[in-house]
Amino acid sequence: MAMFVTKRLLMALATVLVVAVLAFLLVHAMPGSPGAVSLGAGASQDAIDQLNQTLGWNDPLLVQFFRWLGEAAQGNFGNSLVDGRSISSDLANRLPVTASLAAGATVLSALFGIVLGVTAAVRGGFLDQLIGGFVGLLVALPAFWIGVIFVYLFAVQSTVFPATGYVPFEVSPRDWAMSLALPVITLAVGGAAFIARQTRASMLEALQQEHIRTLRATATPTWKILYVHALRYASLPIVAGIALQFIGLFGGSVIAEQLFAMPGLGQAVQTSVSTHDAPAVQGVVVIATVVVVAVNLVLELATKFLDPKLRAS
Amino acid sequence: MIPTLPATTPAIQRKAALTKLSRHRLLASPAGLAGTLWLAAMITASLTAPWWLPFQTEDQDFTAVLSGPTATHWLGTDELGRDILSRIFASAAETLGTSFIAVVVGVGLGTLLALAAASSQRGEGVISRVTEVMMSLPGTVIILAVIGAVGTNIPLIMAILGVLISAGIYRVMLGQAKSLQNQLYVDAAKVDGLGPLAISARHVLPGLATTIVVQSALIFAVGLLIQAGLAFIGFGPPLPQPSWGGMIQSASQHVYDAPWLMVPTGVVLALTVLSANAIGNALGKGPNDTASHLPSAAIRRKRAGQAVAAAAAAPAVGNPPAAGKLSVRGLSVGVDGGTPLVTDVSFDVEPGIVLGLVGESGCGKTMTALSLMGLLPSGVAVTGGQILWNGKNLAAATDKDMESIRGRDVALISQEPMRALDPMFTVGYQLTSAIRRLRSMGKAAASAEALSLLEKVGIVDAKRILKTYPHQISGGMAQRVAIALALSGRPRLLVADEPTTALDVTVQAEILSLLRSLVKDTGMSVVMVTHDLGVVADICDQVAVMYAGQVVENGATASILDDPRHPYTLALLAADPHANSGHDMPERLATIKGQVPQPKDWPGGCRFAARCQFAGSACLVPVPLLPTGTGVGLVRCVKADELATEGLAWVATDVPSDLSPELGVPAEVPARHRLDIIEKDMA
Repeated sequence: MAMFVTKRLLMALATVLVVAVLAFLLVHAMPGSPGAVSLGAGASQDAIDQLNQTLGWNDPLLVQFFRWLGEAAQGNFGNSLVDGRSISSDLANRLPVTASLAAGATVLSALFGIVLGVTAAVRGGFLDQLIGGFVGLLVALPAFWIGVIFVYLFAVQSTVFPATGYVPFEVSPRDWAMSLALPVITLAVGGAAFIARQTRASMLEALQQEHIRTLRATATPTWKILYVHALRYASLPIVAGIALQFIGLFGGSVIAEQLFAMPGLGQAVQTSVSTHDAPAVQGVVVIATVVVVAVNLVLELATKFLDPKLRAS
Repeated sequence: MIPTLPATTPAIQRKAALTKLSRHRLLASPAGLAGTLWLAAMITASLTAPWWLPFQTEDQDFTAVLSGPTATHWLGTDELGRDILSRIFASAAETLGTSFIAVVVGVGLGTLLALAAASSQRGEGVISRVTEVMMSLPGTVIILAVIGAVGTNIPLIMAILGVLISAGIYRVMLGQAKSLQNQLYVDAAKVDGLGPLAISARHVLPGLATTIVVQSALIFAVGLLIQAGLAFIGFGPPLPQPSWGGMIQSASQHVYDAPWLMVPTGVVLALTVLSANAIGNALGKGPNDTASHLPSAAIRRKRAGQAVAAAAAAPAVGNPPAAGKLSVRGLSVGVDGGTPLVTDVSFDVEPGIVLGLVGESGCGKTMTALSLMGLLPSGVAVTGGQILWNGKNLAAATDKDMESIRGRDVALISQEPMRALDPMFTVGYQLTSAIRRLRSMGKAAASAEALSLLEKVGIVDAKRILKTYPHQISGGMAQRVAIALALSGRPRLLVADEPTTALDVTVQAEILSLLRSLVKDTGMSVVMVTHDLGVVADICDQVAVMYAGQVVENGATASILDDPRHPYTLALLAADPHANSGHDMPERLATIKGQVPQPKDWPGGCRFAARCQFAGSACLVPVPLLPTGTGVGLVRCVKADELATEGLAWVATDVPSDLSPELGVPAEVPARHRLDIIEKDMA
């Protein structure tokens, strides 16, 4: 087990490193130099050159990379080229927003997805077809479209929820929850549909296992076969599905953040990409990767723990 | 070789092609058909758009700004008075086309990776590692970073999306590619000197075709959604060029004053995605993914209704058999569609008696055994007859009734002990929870009982075994645990479905002797399904020989093994190496030509006739199960007495393939059949 964890930790570290290299190279392929971005359109070429020199833009690529990596490893991603703010502290403020969104949406979609999927597999017949059709529709509807409709229904027609904006938890837990409601539901719709499909398939596969027959042969009550034994067997692929969902949501929240004006990581990527703010793009890519890889690692260990075969080895 | 068919007219051929097409999985599913039609319409409409669109994308109609559907603007107009219909279809071709780039790159790369990984173990290690890393990346963030570097170059971005997605495709395809690569014919091709590339292309790739199409459809939908999402947050094609995501974005600005604007583009996008998904799902659906061991509630309800109806229709039990005696009367089991699997099976099992159900695979032994417990797989049901136990007809019992009988009265041991135990729970948990349930015991008492049961089935370190998971013990040990589990409710009848087949020979003998001593100690009776005559000789008191869903011979073990009456029993004995050991071992063992016919191919007359050395014209009518001449057992053969008096034995030579008339092969055997056999022999 310790061996396994070490191996996975090393893999995670390698993943982050690969992404760091990629992010660094990509940003260097961006049009325009940092000086030009920072000083804006009106700046003279001399001023731009001078700023590029101070920023170390003219140093060899390898030197720049290791300088950046060294700083990044200590949590310093430099300052924004656009407004000079510290990228690290900006991201530190944004991380809780996206984390709340992604975690909320993952929990919500897991809850609804598992209930829908299990119901479809267990009840069968007409209900299965109904859920299948409903889930198929939810998968096909783009999140941003659903989000706009939600805004129209719950923030325009009736003002149950605020249409946009984010209230930090420290300010008011109630307003925090209300401000998260619409974006979380928006993101959870597609996620729930995805997990419902995964759950239904895994449950059906579990019910095809021969040990289900043994359980019936020893008069195990149906509810126990379904919700203790079959669900336990199906839990491995379901948890894997939830992990994938979280990864998708963590980056995919950019649309919800844009739509609901949430100051999260997704919004940071979007603005920094639009303004060619190179260090900000680098920072957000690395931070997003670190979070996703870490969550993935935790969920993977959880999956191993769920499987007695892997736990023993 | 195909026999020459009379020339068919083109009209008939066309019709046949059409029927074949309509039976195709894609078109047989209503959703798949609708999806195909919509997608075809979309592609046609988008490619021909320049010729039929009513307006240019930038035409502004200031008399109708933000209008709903009108005669001029069928789908309304946007904030600049531009025609929505024209803008949707003017941008459709590019949207669909660029999404296809993601498909080609994603599915293409994924398939190539899967092929490479399947053909080399080392390659698999590396590729799997790399794809794992790819799958744990925040894809959207990376795509946005790429956009930062290269700008909104949609084809390039879709290609990069394809690369990111290929890891998932690889995961889906790897298992299938590997199993294709491990086929025996692929090994044969390797021995023939075919290179790995040629093997991948010729033997593995064709097998992946369906998966490739299914994944392509699904990825196409993903491409559409991602592309629209990017355009929605401002990374679409440069303005003023219209795009679906961009149109939804500008519509969202007017959700307060013109909510209609959200509808047309959203619906077209959703329907297109829905269509691609529907096509993928229709093609990807397995033909029989319903063989569940616990049918869904809907099916169970239907079955319960059938059971009540059957109970009402069944004649009253004449004189119910004594307690502890099983009496099966005219039992038939069939697939829901109507194909029979077991017909008119009757036998009795007295208390303390071991009955063997013997026959080749596919004779209906297991179905007969499972019907005794009401545990037939979904899609299969008892269609007639009675299973009498303690005055109850189990064939017409509801699942609820069966629950009070299973485990307590009738218990099951199955063929593969490793798969019969729940891999997720310890042996101790499985055993104690069964004991607590079946014997209404407390936790402590059940634990003690579990320990003593394991000792009773011959497990020495029972304490340790209780704490293990099924994968941690050997097959023989697992079968002992499964037997202990079956005994946990102190049943009076044990149904054992080939309990030794999956075990090593030495372990087989141990398990058999364990069963024998359990029968002696507990006085329970056993229905033992087996194809092994050695097992029958070893443990069974009575034997019912089954062939093609029927009992063909039934009687005491000693008399059947010593004096078989049915040609099939004769043949089984002549073909069994153990029954022919010692001084009378023949030079070569007999064989039974051909295979057990599929249920749909069962003939009207004797079902064994086509493989029988003694078959004649009398065998073409249905044969009843009648007492043998000596009156000891029952046999289903018109020639049984004749064979017995003449002392004929199953000959150890092949039946000549030209079916010579001396052997009494019915002249009615269709000429086509003969031709096939001859052709096969010549091939």
